[in-house]
Amino acid sequence: MLWRRYFVTLILLAAVGGCDSPSAKFELSLPYLRKQEKDASTEFTLDQRQGLADILAALFGTPDAPYIPAGGGTGIEEVLDASKLRMAAGAVSSDQEGAPHGLYRKHCAHCHGVTGDGMGPTAAFLNPYPRDYRMGVFKFKSTPKGGRPTDADLHKTLVKGIPGTAMPSFRLLADTEIDALIDYVKYLSIRGEVERQLADEMAFELDEGEQLEVSGEFLLEDVVTTVVDRWRMADSQTSQVVKRPEWDEEETLASIHRGRELFYGAVANCVKCHGNTQLGDGQRDDYDDWSKDYEDLTKVIKRDDQKKVLSELAALGALMPRNIHPRNLREGVYRGGRRPVDLYLRILNGIDGSPMPAAILKPADAGPEMKGLTSDDVWHLVDYVRSLPYESLGTQATHDRQYKRSRM
Amino acid sequence: MGRFWSLLFLLVPVLGVGSFAWAVADIWPMRNHWLPEDISVHGVVIDSLFNFIMYLTGVIFIATGLALFLFLWKYDAARNTKPVSFVHGNHVLEIVWSVLPAAILLFIALYQMEPWSASKLVRPTSPGGDIIPPIAEVTGRQFEWRIRYAGEDGQIGTPDDLFTVNDLHVPKDEPIVLAIKSRDVLHSFFLPNLRVKQDVVPGMKQYVWFTATKNGAYDIVCAELCGWGHYKMKGRITVQDREDYDRWFEQQQAEQNLTELASR
Repeated sequence: MLWRRYFVTLILLAAVGGCDSPSAKFELSLPYLRKQEKDASTEFTLDQRQGLADILAALFGTPDAPYIPAGGGTGIEEVLDASKLRMAAGAVSSDQEGAPHGLYRKHCAHCHGVTGDGMGPTAAFLNPYPRDYRMGVFKFKSTPKGGRPTDADLHKTLVKGIPGTAMPSFRLLADTEIDALIDYVKYLSIRGEVERQLADEMAFELDEGEQLEVSGEFLLEDVVTTVVDRWRMADSQTSQVVKRPEWDEEETLASIHRGRELFYGAVANCVKCHGNTQLGDGQRDDYDDWSKDYEDLTKVIKRDDQKKVLSELAALGALMPRNIHPRNLREGVYRGGRRPVDLYLRILNGIDGSPMPAAILKPADAGPEMKGLTSDDVWHLVDYVRSLPYESLGTQATHDRQYKRSRM
Repeated sequence: MGRFWSLLFLLVPVLGVGSFAWAVADIWPMRNHWLPEDISVHGVVIDSLFNFIMYLTGVIFIATGLALFLFLWKYDAARNTKPVSFVHGNHVLEIVWSVLPAAILLFIALYQMEPWSASKLVRPTSPGGDIIPPIAEVTGRQFEWRIRYAGEDGQIGTPDDLFTVNDLHVPKDEPIVLAIKSRDVLHSFFLPNLRVKQDVVPGMKQYVWFTATKNGAYDIVCAELCGWGHYKMKGRITVQDREDYDRWFEQQQAEQNLTELASR
């Protein structure tokens, strides 16, 4: 019979051709390479790019088989645990004892991308875009601006999620799985930072077309160690939070009042971005550091060639940049956490990668002539911000909302 | 081929009933495919309604499947030489197959009225006759459940509210009311072990209620395709004794009001 012959042919074709997808691989950061080319007015050859990819692969392995740069002295083993990386990496599977593998690709990669570039398949549909780890910049953490997050900070983000964004809570994962993912995020971040440093090296230190030096010593000592040190320091950099004084109800009201004055005052000047009504309607035309990485878009937007810059970016595979909006403080949605201590840290340290600046802390006994905020001032601001979702905007009498079908 | 097709169609009622029986018997590989453990007060009624309707439709399903098989078998073209004769309708038959299903439907409608109103319309009341207010508000969001407990004042939307995510705790043996909402798209708040399932519609606040009778951790799942991450929109409901619940609540609230960095 004819149909049977077709059927057999089909099966044979499937057997020969296979249904395998190509194995996952790390991508180079094309926008950053292009930016360095432009800044150094040079052009990387294909060989140079391949050389960079080869060095990174030699140092960090592949998404299926990651490893931490071998050779002592970098201290990287204090930051990353190879067995945790193996648990998080690779294709989604579980071994004979039922222990899971490929956690990163199961839970994270569809938004954050296999490379950790924040460009997974679902990224373009999300607002805000998923985080690109490769700059090593993280927003919600307990270390000062420029510092790397601690494990506890990343743990909190994974367990609590980031309300107001597409980042969900992974509370129901086992602790070992969360720890594995934390290490893998740090691994992708360190790998990305090393890539950027090597690209800088290529752009500014080498002659045109010259291959990157593959000497292990330089790589490990100068590049990897610098990057790793920033992560190693995180724990010791954790900011000192001066405990909020035990204010009674009246003192808290006074604190809220003082916070309001500071909000509108010249020192804290929160009003500039968060707006007169705290709806986040102040300055809304800025960009975050990830969008500014290629070129400072706040300046580009005023130039005639903005379309050209944006189409260049798109051609390099980047997502269309969007403005970063100051938080609407009346919504009661706090991305970095709603505990008073979280808000204290946001005001004290600012938010990395965003235009939110860090406060200048001054001693409690410093006079008003000294610029900055005392820790009490920061607590006043925290109290004020925490009161905003419950403060009525208008003067009209409030009334309980009636839902048609509430059946109360 | 001939009677091959009639035998093939006979497989429909056989396999259909077989797979159900297999799941009910809870034998591998159909373990845990039947109704999950019921830990609610009203679940018995829901389950008996489910079973009643399943047996009713089951009987009709088997009868239809057998009739289809018998006709295919008897009137196989290869074995019948008699020409086809057409009937121009049968009044009595038509009345029977219209009235009978209508009567059955009407019966089901009346029969389930009480459980329906008890689980969807009439909110439980306290011994004093007051309607019990919701203990918490659960907001579905792509792809998680955000939970906001009323604090000590019993009001949701005040500064003493407690916020959690994917982690709902309720005291045992008490009527619990939850307000459910959606922040983005259609979700469905489903507590399989408590026999509670309600679509959550953006812009609409609804209430569900139940009384849990057994301590333990159970699933909260989304039962309405809500986007690519629907499958991972999973939470946990923990039923515990009143004292344990109160302790948990206090501890969560202390954590939420933290004003200094805890060392980890």
